[in-house]
Amino acid sequence: MNPHFRAFSFVDRITTVELGARIHGEYWIPSGVGCFGQSLVAEAVGQLAAWAAMATVDFQRRPVAGLAGEIELLRPIQPGQRLELAADFDTVDQDAASYGGTAQVDGLPVVRLRHCVGPMMAVEDFDDPEALRARFAVLCNGGAEPGGFGGIPDFPLERIGGETGKQAIATLQVPANAYFFADHFPRRPVFPGTLIMKANLELAAGLARELPAPAMGGEWVLRSVSDVKLRAFTSPGEVLEISARLDRISTDAATLNLETRKGMRVVGGARVLLAPEDRT
Amino acid sequence: MSNNNNNITKEEIMAIYPKVAGIMADALGCDADQVKPDSSLINDLKAESIDFLDIVFRLERAFKIKIPRDKIVEEARGGLSEAEFEKGGVVTEAGVERLRLVLSEVPAERFTSPLNVANIPQLFTTETFCKMAIRQQRAASAAGAARV
Repeated sequence: MNPHFRAFSFVDRITTVELGARIHGEYWIPSGVGCFGQSLVAEAVGQLAAWAAMATVDFQRRPVAGLAGEIELLRPIQPGQRLELAADFDTVDQDAASYGGTAQVDGLPVVRLRHCVGPMMAVEDFDDPEALRARFAVLCNGGAEPGGFGGIPDFPLERIGGETGKQAIATLQVPANAYFFADHFPRRPVFPGTLIMKANLELAAGLARELPAPAMGGEWVLRSVSDVKLRAFTSPGEVLEISARLDRISTDAATLNLETRKGMRVVGGARVLLAPEDRT
Repeated sequence: MSNNNNNITKEEIMAIYPKVAGIMADALGCDADQVKPDSSLINDLKAESIDFLDIVFRLERAFKIKIPRDKIVEEARGGLSEAEFEKGGVVTEAGVERLRLVLSEVPAERFTSPLNVANIPQLFTTETFCKMAIRQQRAASAAGAARV
């Protein structure tokens, strides 16, 4: 089965689009995938925005992961649910696409993105512009058949250091081969920034479990991720070092700083806000 | 000939400097006191291209302005044509003269010779972005006044 537009594609249908301004669409999470985390939901919103951005510049440029001012993680998501996706643009030009967006399930927001900026790069370096143009037409005219996504393998983090309750450091071995590389992207395989973020959040969740419990009891949960910045592409087979460090903690909130390194170079960063789990 | 630089007073720059420096610090993940008015974003604060994009969008949101990203170097070129400004990727003498005028906040010794066009962003300082924000604030005010 051709992995293009299947292995790492999270928009099934575009319901409305106003180029340069806004776009709405949907994605049906296949019920057979083991789990579909909030990172992939954010990816779905970003991919919807990318379709509109590419169409706005006639498929000459495409946005890639760059900046996200804030990603609110509002509700968990289950396989089998239908995501209603939306993105609104501040600007789209040859250099950057700036947008915000939401994913909802049954009318309730599950993930919200604010102040995202995708640097625009030459489409032909990543994919066939004509194939993208044709796919966009399919998505806008009734949509594609849902269910193409078959899940993402686990990429275990190997904890290599840190200090309990203060910092966690781990390595992530990016696979040299994976099915999704053929979709992300056909002409230049890149380890998705979303999966780097997923690994970051797993490490952050691990550190959160080591913190003193919130004053009201219960556990810390990841509430939002802010100041996300990806500085470089990660290629198949590379090794990343990820760290989560406690920045501050009070009785009802904590923040962690996340950093991703490739060798000596910092290639990504973000901040995570932890809050007590909602027990209402 | 306009130089994009006249009429911006030190007081105007200092009025917005704390906010701009805070934006730089947030974008670059450094302490605010590491950011100085004459800090070169690239050489002193280790900014990369994604940081420039970050800073520009943060400035846009903070000051409710639009900064035409593809025009930043073009603005520095002022009234000179591309041919007058550079030859084969190297800034001409007239171009350097022009840059010294437009980027008057940049210490003179940073204008290396020859100066490659690709290295112009290395000249940009915190104060350069203050001036950029002020110019765009003025442009927005002028556009607003013209609409009234």
